[in-house]
Amino acid sequence: MELSSLLTRRRVGMAAAASTAGRLLRLGAVRAEGHCRRLRRAGLERGFLQPTSAGKDAAQKRHVAHFTFQPDRESQEHGQTQKMNLFQAVTSALDNSLAKDPTAVIFGEDVAFGGVFRCTVGLRDKYGKDRVFNTPLCEQGIVGFGIGIAVTGATAIAEIQFADYIFPAFDQIVNEAAKYRYRSGDLFNCGSLTIRSPWGCVGHGGLYHSQCPEAFFAHCPGIKVVIPRSPFQAKGLLLSCIEDKNPCIFFEPKILYRAAVEQVPVEPYTIPLSQAEVIQEGSDITLVAWGTQVHVIREVALMAREKLGVSCEIIDLRTIIPWDVDTVCKSVIKTGRLLISHEAPLTGGFASEISSTVQLHDELPSFFLETF
Amino acid sequence: MAAAVSAASVWRQSLAQAALLLLRRPGVRGLARSGRISFYMTNYGEEGTHVGSAAALDSTDLVFGQYREAGVLMYRDYPLELFMAQCYGNMSDPGKGRQMPVHYGCKERHFVTISSPLATQIPQAVGAAYAAKRANANRIVICYFGEGAASEGDAHAGFNFAATLECPIIFFCRNNGYAISTPTYEQYRGDGIAARGPGYGIMSIRVDGNDVFAVYNATKEARRRAVAENQPFLIEAMTYRIGHHSTSDDSSAYRSVDEVNYWDKQDHPISRLRHYLVSHGWWDEDQEKTWRKQSRKMVMEAFAQAERKLKPNPNLLFSDVYQEMPAQLRKQQESLAQHLQTYGEHYPLDHFDK
Repeated sequence: MELSSLLTRRRVGMAAAASTAGRLLRLGAVRAEGHCRRLRRAGLERGFLQPTSAGKDAAQKRHVAHFTFQPDRESQEHGQTQKMNLFQAVTSALDNSLAKDPTAVIFGEDVAFGGVFRCTVGLRDKYGKDRVFNTPLCEQGIVGFGIGIAVTGATAIAEIQFADYIFPAFDQIVNEAAKYRYRSGDLFNCGSLTIRSPWGCVGHGGLYHSQCPEAFFAHCPGIKVVIPRSPFQAKGLLLSCIEDKNPCIFFEPKILYRAAVEQVPVEPYTIPLSQAEVIQEGSDITLVAWGTQVHVIREVALMAREKLGVSCEIIDLRTIIPWDVDTVCKSVIKTGRLLISHEAPLTGGFASEISSTVQLHDELPSFFLETF
Repeated sequence: MAAAVSAASVWRQSLAQAALLLLRRPGVRGLARSGRISFYMTNYGEEGTHVGSAAALDSTDLVFGQYREAGVLMYRDYPLELFMAQCYGNMSDPGKGRQMPVHYGCKERHFVTISSPLATQIPQAVGAAYAAKRANANRIVICYFGEGAASEGDAHAGFNFAATLECPIIFFCRNNGYAISTPTYEQYRGDGIAARGPGYGIMSIRVDGNDVFAVYNATKEARRRAVAENQPFLIEAMTYRIGHHSTSDDSSAYRSVDEVNYWDKQDHPISRLRHYLVSHGWWDEDQEKTWRKQSRKMVMEAFAQAERKLKPNPNLLFSDVYQEMPAQLRKQQESLAQHLQTYGEHYPLDHFDK
């Protein structure tokens, strides 16, 4: 299948306004020209990719959304591992946290019986009903309550059942949690608050079980927003969020809860926040994504290599804010091109922040931008 | 006699508060009107709710307020110098000059820093109470709010969570008749705030907020039971906001002078306490004169001192956003520093700490 249709295809079930976004930055006239020639040789005009000719690929036609989860190589550095899917990795992280920190509590809608995505299965029995408990159905209450626990210094792990429902808590997150330390002159803070929430398209979720609201929170200094691509990443990043001394929002790609399976260390370990990961090195173009889209982009990179002879460098951003500007810019300095792809709507999506910051970077030469 | 002594000390606190909060010209409110501080909110008429409730708490009980509870902080001996520092936003402000005046906070006195959004403190106070319960600390949390803020969704959330999660918290509603210009008839149509409590399963009481002893007794009993039974209590203290909403408000636009005078002259919490003390022979006109003079002097000295101080270092614009300063903010901080190097003459840098 052609690169163009990969970049522009829509997922079944995704909200109408959402689409995979691609922004192609071409930097440096000389470098571009060499690549231009290569693209033209592949039968593609400059900046414009042709669709597949009719009738050729009947066998390849797809009827539903598709991606293939690609596990990373097993990590040897954190001791014994166990096969876990993403929700089990989350449970493991929560289990580790409650074992280590006697003040830690988990709360939200339906967490007591194990949660609608089974992330909290077994924890109430193990740690007690005062530590793993249901709250009334009220997101502003859940987050406000969590802030209050954190203000006393105890560890609060709040669950918002779907990221689509985080908006009633927006005031508590943006006006309160994010500003608690700053406005009090560091007399008070709610750094021990972590909010976890299922995120992203799942195929059948429609408008209200599929959203990716990270861009709304990216505009809010004082909080951290983190999105894992895999079970191993999820556990390490979640543990980092819980230990981090700032309020964090941890979005869990729900389509990966069962579909992503990996060997994950049983013991606790952390993955640093605000550090993007170059998961594949390349020389012709930098591809940036987060969450589920990392796996789509991996497939894109494979096809680009096979069909276009293009070598892609892939970066998983991991932390949305504060984001790792240096790693992305360093990569773009090397490759000369940047493509950012996210599920969330194009306008005002986080790709805009990345693309404008990269373009402003001191060490990057003047450029022109093509968007499609 | 012990009662008289404690009553007298309660009275002194009230008068000290009155000195700070009631002085009309010059007063802190006067400072705002004359442009020396940007903004101020008085507490006139509600002193009974502050002092009565604060006196009934343990000093380590955590306080979440709205913005009209300065008397609670004053009861806990927060120094005048720091009240002034926050209002002036000077370099002595523990809040580092970041917020509008009256957004006080004090960690040692367990008074959580005030924020402007209304009612957001209510579910937070509930969470803090839950943590206090788990810690077996024999502490409660008290959460103050006005009858207007009680209309916010966060109030509903807080009440419901406190009841279902069995939290040792006192919800203290200052029903003072107005939310800026909105009278209670336009705020709710039911029987005030106390009547809502039972709907959540919360034991509730309505008290005369201008009777400092009634407020004290209700809060004392609520505290005792909250600790013993791990459940929330709701106190609705009926009072009256004698002053304007803030220095940005002129309440003559929406209420009569006669109405205000009634409360000021006939049902003022400080007057009522004074009459009580005088009638028992524990206070007299001479002591009153002396104490007023003394308070006025203390307040004026604190003003003068606060005004002389520099504002905080501009670098404090960037710290404490996160516990650690991220790279992007450091870049912005450096960018400001560079800007000031070139264009510093256009800024009043002399007023700021270097």
